[in-house]
Amino acid sequence: MTTLDFISVRKTFGTNVALESLNLDVRDGELITLLGPSGCGKTTALRIAAGFEFADSGAVLVAGGDITRTPAHKRNMGMVFQSYSLFPNLTVAKNVEFGLRTRGVVGAQRHLRVAEMLDLVQLMPFADRYPHQLSGGQQQRVALARALAVQPRVLLLDEPLSALDAKVRTTLRDEIRRIQTEVGITTLFVTHDQEEALAISDRICVMSQGRVEQLGSPTEVYRNPSTAFVARFVGSMNEFDAEVTGASEVTVAGQRIGAPGAASAAVGSRVSMLVRPEDLSLAEVGLPGTVTSITFQGATTLVGVRLDVLDHLVSADVGRGAADQLQIGSRVSVGINGSNAVCEPVTVGLPVAVDEPVA
Amino acid sequence: MSDHSIHVAMPELEGPPTAPTAMAPRPVGKPRVRFARLVPNTVMIVCGVFFVLPLLTLARFSLQNVPTILLGSSTLFKKWSLVGLTKAFSDPDFWPALRLSLQLAAGTVVLTLGLLLPTAIWVHMRLPRARAFIEFLTVLPYMIPAIALVAGIFVIKPHARWFLNSDLSLIPFYVVLALPFTYRSIDAGLRAIDLKTLVDASRGLGAGWLTTLRTVVMPNMRTSIISASFLTAAVVIGEFTIADTLLKETLPRFQATFVGREPQAGYGLNLLALLLTIGLFVTLSVLTKKRDYKRNSFTRQLEKATKMTSDTTP
Repeated sequence: MTTLDFISVRKTFGTNVALESLNLDVRDGELITLLGPSGCGKTTALRIAAGFEFADSGAVLVAGGDITRTPAHKRNMGMVFQSYSLFPNLTVAKNVEFGLRTRGVVGAQRHLRVAEMLDLVQLMPFADRYPHQLSGGQQQRVALARALAVQPRVLLLDEPLSALDAKVRTTLRDEIRRIQTEVGITTLFVTHDQEEALAISDRICVMSQGRVEQLGSPTEVYRNPSTAFVARFVGSMNEFDAEVTGASEVTVAGQRIGAPGAASAAVGSRVSMLVRPEDLSLAEVGLPGTVTSITFQGATTLVGVRLDVLDHLVSADVGRGAADQLQIGSRVSVGINGSNAVCEPVTVGLPVAVDEPVA
Repeated sequence: MSDHSIHVAMPELEGPPTAPTAMAPRPVGKPRVRFARLVPNTVMIVCGVFFVLPLLTLARFSLQNVPTILLGSSTLFKKWSLVGLTKAFSDPDFWPALRLSLQLAAGTVVLTLGLLLPTAIWVHMRLPRARAFIEFLTVLPYMIPAIALVAGIFVIKPHARWFLNSDLSLIPFYVVLALPFTYRSIDAGLRAIDLKTLVDASRGLGAGWLTTLRTVVMPNMRTSIISASFLTAAVVIGEFTIADTLLKETLPRFQATFVGREPQAGYGLNLLALLLTIGLFVTLSVLTKKRDYKRNSFTRQLEKATKMTSDTTP
């Protein structure tokens, strides 16, 4: 059982609070993603787990043992970095065996382990190449093999895919997941890319400004975001100004919409309602508007509509049949399904309508 | 140099195949190509003459047993002898001076690297904002003449006689003198690698600070460490002012007095020093080139490993 626990971990850099009080338990064999915008503390958390930074207060436990003050080189963690971190003076094989050498693993045993790792990442033919002779994706695979060679207790991945181009990123992402499941290693994965997080994780820990906003499975985080921040950060969102007009009911530009998310808001108060593109439809009745963009996405089509009443751009996921008849400039009505909507009370003034970027 | 020759060779390679097929649609191309080669070639020749001519005249002066006044075109091939090169070796003061200079060079290199490597690494890892300031500090010895340093020495002289009496007391001064060259070289080496990530990666894999320094940082800074050492040694072996002021019998001081006594052999020694320096340069550039480890390839190691384990299993 290898678990990784953060208990009330706090870290500041000068006056900047990087982590307020992080509580997180990574279960045995689980892959947890720390997801958040830059500066949210996710990398700090990872570096504290690795031992490159030390917590101001709180504790870090691996398999129940306290490692809060253990220096990095005695922690037995496997880490893959964002930038290419292979030792440029060593071949692929020598890079992979580096950790085994520091642990004093001898000759034949070491070579066999290296071969096993290179097979795992399918880079055996490249064993004698130097890092500069490899592509970015290959380098990150070697880095993964190097991290796993020492049979670390926990695998730490610090945005390992962000330097790669889109196609390699998806392939390598799936490969990391395959290898992680195959090896069964407890893993902490840091990323700012919500799509990546949704695809790879057992659980996602969404962070903002040094705090955990939500911890849950990808489905939970996507379908039931616990805060407006999570709702906005994970997946794309449309935002409507609404007035609460009943228990679990809001009114948007004269349309009454059932919204369980507004249950806790006082009747008569104003809220910001967040609705996913797939919860918008081109219906008979709804808010009238004009199509401004049509983005074909395979199974569905993302349609951008400028609403007449709110002068506000929204995007809707539309199935194949309905989208075929549309063109830019078409007049449509947008129906809102409020059952999954998140309603955030508006406190000071009214927020400016945001043109949601089409993700 | 090699880079240069590639540029020069390119138009030449393109020239001949197009010439017979193209029926003079662009006859202008050829003269222009020739002209393009003319400029760099001229520069090369002029520079070559500029460097080689003084060496040749130095060689004639020190290696020909012909009175200086008769050194003309008619005596070009007369009475050459290598005696002038090695005559200094038989001077009783030569060997101690050489030994002292080499000791000073070695000591300065060791102290410089010992001080600068950890400092530069620390600055890169933890104080990147201090880099500009440290860089400025290291240029100071370049801007302040050595004689000012000497004036400083006289101020401390009464308090540190025991120290200044030792021949090796020159080492700290030389470390300071060489600073502008050594720091820049090491700094450039550090900037060329992603030090922070490499160090983190190494420590994450179980290597302590010393192992990291030895197996990761140093090998990747090989070229810059070697060139820093070389520059330091060059500064030390050529330094005259401080050694002269502190009355230390180093090689430059020996050369100065020896040239007065034996002009021909004195310049012969200078010529030898120059040739050795060039030789050292060439050796270093060969040494710093990346070596190919094909012979100890992983595939072979693995073959051996598999054989060993299959031998032991039955």
